[in-house]
Amino acid sequence: MIRKNPRLLTLALATLVAGTAAAQEPQKGYLTGSFETNTIYYRDDAKTNATAPDDHFGSNNFLKLDYYRGKLAVGVQMEAYLPVLQSFPTELAGTKLTNYYVTWQDDAFSVTAGTFYDQFGSGLLFRSWEDRMLGMNNALMGARFIYNYKNIVAFKAIWGLPRLGMEFSETQVRGADLSFSLAELLKWNNTSLSLEGSVLSRYEKIPQDLIDEGGKPNSEGYSGRIYFERSGFSLKAEYVDAGKKYAIDPEVSQDGDIYLQKTGSAQLLELGYNRNGLGISLSGRRLEWMRSEITSNGNLKSSSANLLNYIPAMCTQYTYMLTNLHPYTAQIGDAVYNNSGEIGGQADIFYNFKRGSALGGKRGLKIHANFSTYYTLHKEGTAKAGKLLYRDISIDIEKQFTRKFKAVLLYSMQEENPSYGRKSATRLQNVFVADLQYKFTPKFSTRLELQYLTTHEDEKDWMAALLEINFAPSWSIYGSDMYNNGGSKIHYFNAGVSYARSRTRIALSYGRNREGLLCSGGVCRLTRAYTGANLQITTSF
Amino acid sequence: MKTARAIILTIALLLSSMYASAQIPAVKVENAKGETVSTGSLVDGQTPMIISFWATTCKPCIQELDAINEALPDWLEEAEFRVVAVSTDDARFTAKARSLAQGRGWGDFTLLFDKNQEFMRAMNVTLTPQVYVVDKDGKIVYSHTGYSPGSENELLKKIKELKK
Repeated sequence: MIRKNPRLLTLALATLVAGTAAAQEPQKGYLTGSFETNTIYYRDDAKTNATAPDDHFGSNNFLKLDYYRGKLAVGVQMEAYLPVLQSFPTELAGTKLTNYYVTWQDDAFSVTAGTFYDQFGSGLLFRSWEDRMLGMNNALMGARFIYNYKNIVAFKAIWGLPRLGMEFSETQVRGADLSFSLAELLKWNNTSLSLEGSVLSRYEKIPQDLIDEGGKPNSEGYSGRIYFERSGFSLKAEYVDAGKKYAIDPEVSQDGDIYLQKTGSAQLLELGYNRNGLGISLSGRRLEWMRSEITSNGNLKSSSANLLNYIPAMCTQYTYMLTNLHPYTAQIGDAVYNNSGEIGGQADIFYNFKRGSALGGKRGLKIHANFSTYYTLHKEGTAKAGKLLYRDISIDIEKQFTRKFKAVLLYSMQEENPSYGRKSATRLQNVFVADLQYKFTPKFSTRLELQYLTTHEDEKDWMAALLEINFAPSWSIYGSDMYNNGGSKIHYFNAGVSYARSRTRIALSYGRNREGLLCSGGVCRLTRAYTGANLQITTSF
Repeated sequence: MKTARAIILTIALLLSSMYASAQIPAVKVENAKGETVSTGSLVDGQTPMIISFWATTCKPCIQELDAINEALPDWLEEAEFRVVAVSTDDARFTAKARSLAQGRGWGDFTLLFDKNQEFMRAMNVTLTPQVYVVDKDGKIVYSHTGYSPGSENELLKKIKELKK
């Protein structure tokens, strides 16, 4: 009913809002919303082989409105792709009221009907979320019920059809999540301890030949979690049984079966110690056949947004150009490459040398180091490491030298496996960055980035520079160039200006962009090279 | 989808005539200890606050919070207020965000973790850094998107205006 008649539901929402608004209660409601456009004018560029689409334009637009009145919230989101930007999932097309919901939030419980986002634990088993950079929105259309008993018990039940592209898919997702705080029950003051568990069921019609081979349209997954915190020390552990997974067997097996049948599983352990200016965080994770798709059939199977869970790459996500040339993506099991998953971990350490200490000097010194390393699984069903997939060692130091001058120095050594573990060969690169900021007056400042990447492999050395000039609080202009001096000799230049006032920001830029992986939140999307002008406006009210 | 546009317009028109100024919606987030708390409890009826949405992958966000942290002892001599730093990092970086906050000496901030961006969505934040000044009753009196060094001074100005 809901799926077939979105307009009907919207009308119902509108009536509800109008009705509530008309009732003259003393408590007034309020409307809030946001609008965002990301529009690109594309040009052909012989240097990078970037080709513009026929009409040279791409434009992704979002309008979101929410109305709150006491315990009631209603909202809609409209999206317009006029047409969709290059390299985004192509099923995003046209203009549509894509999301709409109504929520009643009481002290102890809440009920939502319509679209909603949620996740169980860290999202390994299930996550529905929106990431506009990736063209990702797998909101569930259905219903959610949440109940809390004091701070001791939190229970959540969900049912819905995940959004894929502009439509809601026919896959049904049902799930429940329970969190139980032992520390609250026993009234411990300085310790947190909770036990959590989730179950998720996914139903999708499957082809007859898969049924013949023993496949089932239903697949159930479970996760169990424990969380502990005391005196700055924390521990989080999660175990996931992701249920049955089917994939077309790339090699015809002896018994003539077309499908491979696998069971997904994952283990995650996070340890932290955060006290007295020292922050340490360690994490380890093993993944095996963890790809969870919204749909296994049809054209949308290959969409980068065809995801029902969240498996990010657990390593540093950099913000400097050259440190991001070869980002890592988590290996979640691939039948074609005969790669069942990955195992690895990372360590982060942050430390603040206080003012007045030997290293801190007059204004303090901040230091951060990261080590991350990931391997293929040597053999299915084991935790033995196989071939190296990715390794990164980095250190960055930040020092405020005078009131006006601040510097960040970063070094990163990255080693990646370009064949994603099919072969052993890896590529090594060293990246150096200096990020220097000078404040001329309280409102006028500049920032200069100088970067160098050195490697014997692939495209050889790169260099990059960026100059940013800021007039606080509103104006900022920048120019940058990334140059492949060791290989292609191509300049990837960019220049832009932005203006921000209150809740509105307008940014205009022009430049040449390299083909590569664009990552957001640890999930990446392959982007084609493009040259052109980009207008971004975001506003909220 | 003319109908869709018509519906949005109708809703907008209906409401714009009668809405009060934006406030802080009550959604569930995690506090520094990893416990679930409601953002509704931030409003205490006594002191105003600065709410800043940040992420470990957002450099200007960290710059802004550092600048606020640096100026905090001086600012607190001029006005009474709280600083709430909301990490919008998802499960991938929540642990890292806790360590980063500790390693940058943000001990005087109220740290919140918005793992699936529910608070961010409810406040209609699309870009970080996004900062708000909220009065003691939960009414948003100032907001700013983006950060350039020096723009933090606007925050103190707005907070001092609230005292008048």
